[in-house]
Amino acid sequence: MKIIIKHTPALVFSMVLSTNIFLIANTHALEPLAENELQQVLGQGGVYLSGDITINESGGPLNNTADASNPGIWQKNCTASSTDKRCGARIAVNSGDGASSGWLVLDNIRGRFSFEGLTLKTRPINSGFEGDGAIFDADVFEVGLPNKVNYSNVSFTLANSNKARPTDANFVQTDILNVKVNGDVNLRGNVLLFPTGNP
Amino acid sequence: MMIKRLFLYTAGMFLSFPALALQSLSDTSLSNVQGQSGLTIEQSQLVNIGNLSYTDDSNSLNIQGLRISSQNDINASSSQKYVLDVTADGALSVQTTINPTQLYIDAITINNSSGSFGNLTLNFESIVDFTIIGMPLGGLEGSFAAGISNADMIWQTNGNALSFNNIAFNATVDRFTLEYDAIDNTKGFTRTGLDFGFNELDFSFSTGALSFAGVSLGELAGELALSADLQVFAGGRSGDQGLTMHSQVSILSNPDNFVRFTDYDNAGNGNSLLMGDFSGFLNVTNLTLDLQSYHIALGFDELEGAFNAGKLLIGDSSRSLGGIELDFLLNDDAINDRYNRFQLYPGITQPDFDAMPDEIKSYAESFYQDLDANSEGISIAAQWNLANADLSYIDDGRRVIFSGIKSFGSADTTIDVRDKTLAIGISNLKGSYSIDGLKVGDSDAPLQGGAELLLSLEVYQAMDFDLDGYTEITAGGADGGGIRIDGDYYFSNTNIGLSVDENGQGIWATDVKYDIHLRDITFDVEADGLKINRGEQWSTMDIANLRWGDKNSGRSLGRVKLERFEQGSSLAIMPGGAGQVCVGASAADEASCGSSGGRWEDRGEQGMTIALKAAFANAGSTTDGTATARNRLTWENNRVETSAGSGEYISDSGTQIIFDNYSTNDGRGTSDTNDYGFQANLSIDVYETKVLKKTDEDDVNGVSGDFGDELIYDNIGTVDDPIRGNSYSYVASPTEEQEALRPLGFAVKGNISFKELNIDAVQLKHPDIATPQTVFYGVVMQNLNLTTNLTATPIQ
Repeated sequence: MKIIIKHTPALVFSMVLSTNIFLIANTHALEPLAENELQQVLGQGGVYLSGDITINESGGPLNNTADASNPGIWQKNCTASSTDKRCGARIAVNSGDGASSGWLVLDNIRGRFSFEGLTLKTRPINSGFEGDGAIFDADVFEVGLPNKVNYSNVSFTLANSNKARPTDANFVQTDILNVKVNGDVNLRGNVLLFPTGNP
Repeated sequence: MMIKRLFLYTAGMFLSFPALALQSLSDTSLSNVQGQSGLTIEQSQLVNIGNLSYTDDSNSLNIQGLRISSQNDINASSSQKYVLDVTADGALSVQTTINPTQLYIDAITINNSSGSFGNLTLNFESIVDFTIIGMPLGGLEGSFAAGISNADMIWQTNGNALSFNNIAFNATVDRFTLEYDAIDNTKGFTRTGLDFGFNELDFSFSTGALSFAGVSLGELAGELALSADLQVFAGGRSGDQGLTMHSQVSILSNPDNFVRFTDYDNAGNGNSLLMGDFSGFLNVTNLTLDLQSYHIALGFDELEGAFNAGKLLIGDSSRSLGGIELDFLLNDDAINDRYNRFQLYPGITQPDFDAMPDEIKSYAESFYQDLDANSEGISIAAQWNLANADLSYIDDGRRVIFSGIKSFGSADTTIDVRDKTLAIGISNLKGSYSIDGLKVGDSDAPLQGGAELLLSLEVYQAMDFDLDGYTEITAGGADGGGIRIDGDYYFSNTNIGLSVDENGQGIWATDVKYDIHLRDITFDVEADGLKINRGEQWSTMDIANLRWGDKNSGRSLGRVKLERFEQGSSLAIMPGGAGQVCVGASAADEASCGSSGGRWEDRGEQGMTIALKAAFANAGSTTDGTATARNRLTWENNRVETSAGSGEYISDSGTQIIFDNYSTNDGRGTSDTNDYGFQANLSIDVYETKVLKKTDEDDVNGVSGDFGDELIYDNIGTVDDPIRGNSYSYVASPTEEQEALRPLGFAVKGNISFKELNIDAVQLKHPDIATPQTVFYGVVMQNLNLTTNLTATPIQ
């Protein structure tokens, strides 16, 4: 699979976006597109998405104190202003050699992303791109980047732990850094996804 | 003599005989004749007929063991009373009272078929009043009112019964006509036939229970008003004999029309699915009936209709899902050899097990193991061709149309009743369907993309497939009434359109093999909605190529294989959408939402909410021990081609990335319980959505506007009652009136949550090694609560 991104002031965010959506991409080749080519990327048919995505604004299901089946270490009264680190979502990845190795952790993931105008559609490219379109002559899946993404109290903690879960015996975690993001990111252009290479 | 009695009996009961033949009465019978004005006939009879045959081109439909008796004692006579009078205008008035009667048929066969359609029992009592008078230019006209009560209808195969109990039925016809002046030229010659007319046929029905072996699924009830014309001609589709009919039916618009299914739980509380406020029509051209050597042949040239239901309710909620409208056309397509034909065979015609794929063969053999050539039931060989259909969903007056729905195919089906179970076997189904796209507003609106939105419900935009599937439907859901489904299905030679346009271009999953096994799937209507408990299911979807562009020649991403194993999953569909929401901020009212930088939306009372729980199970054996199953996603490429340039590749010959044994649990790892699972709650409304221009250039339709301007449709209504036209412009700062003319789309308030989603390993596998190499020895995701407020608008 190849991904083309054109005119992206926030290239890193585009990469994150595309890899989040399509986890099965194997190669991410980036090719610059001219402005007139970019205009042709807007095609027929598809879906226009707007709205917001909020993660653990009032905690997650393990924080529910009314659910007696939840482990005590997770049961917290989480509000939007709560700073308890258990109120966020958690991802632990073991890239070592199994049970004897440690875990890389993204912990206490919270926050809101809001955006206007993320488009999804498939369309053929058979012209433009300084002549490359006619040579390409195939369909692409186009992710039209939203004009603006607002980050509101988006935060996470990067950490190491010796166990996957806080409930595991002898669990120890070392936090490395905390990240918190507020503000707007302008994204323009499109991400084109299409197969290439030997299937 | 017995046949004559039967004719008189059926004439009185069904009113389909234009005149009553006069017979001499015995002294005994004459003594029963009473009346002051007119004539009263009281009659009792016990009818036993060994075989009654209808013959069409030398083929016979045999009704065997026909008995008409008292309902209480099958060896005793049933009784009827007829009161005949002539009214002041010269009409014949007949009042018929039929006391509790049983009509029983032991078997229905065709020619010497070893199998039978099964036996039928109809218990009933009725009162029928009708008047009839000659028309000035020939023919007959009149009116009637009929009431059937305390009725049961029972269909038995191989000793097992499906029954509708305690049926009540009432019908009135304001005016009916019968004339012999219908002309038909559809077959290249002229023929004359009977013309029946029914003006304002109002009827209501109810059943105390629909049950298998006494176990109730629930109750059915309804009211409907129709006007109909029916033309009947001698001669069918083949041979010299048979029957041909045309009909034109209007469903009269009436807010009181309804059909309702009520499901009672173990505590005796009833909850209903209700569809009401009907209107529409149904026209059939050349509906034919013929008898062939081994089957009844039914078919039609064209079936066109529209069905509108303004009210959909689930449970005891007063909130409506909204309304639906369906326009459809089924017709013959001789050029593509697609027809609408149905062949009904008595008995169970088992499929050719050796011809079916190995993946489903053992399940098919198990499904039919207790049946043989003498078993009772119905076998159907069917073809269909849906030339076009449009399905509209209307939410608080806002309409989205799934447009250009087409389907054709053929299938062999068997139906029989087993112990508390209805068994449906489908073999050798070769089918196809597609949806062109969406329209918003009205049917004249331009076709747009967006049918991909159905993917969230696992409904694909296009699909052609072979299917063998075997289903058992058992009475009784998770609580009281309702139904339970167990089934095994195998799709082969399948192409699935994930995102395609009306020309079939897009993203396709091709050469798919998909086997699905469902166990203990229950459907119940509950107070707050429709609840589907998915006890256990496991499946493997093996996509040989995920292609971009054409489904045959598009570039392939490679092979994708998705294995699933779920225990204790569920799905609930509830009326009512999101209501009032603040998009882009957290606020409880419009003022604070705006001050927080959000956008306040009141999405109305209607809409629907879908609550999904997927409990992904840890790898292991299925409950019945017939298989091992796991959740695993595999992506493979760099495969070896079967032959150079063939474009077909050998599975497992390439490099794979594997997400192995992913599962959910309640937070303590795979040894923990799995009650919470992966939950997705979606509140769906059709709503005005904000669409911003993304460039400063003219758009694809040549409409100009600046970057960031908002798309607003032109108003072809009034200021107070705005209606979207098909043209639009871009507006920098729309007024409140203009905001009402925003494009329509789906507004989804969603929440996704899980306590823990665990992936055992992420692996890479080279074709030259037997065991995959592990990249990640585990991925543990916990405590996610993700909320979305998204609007999804179809765009051009």
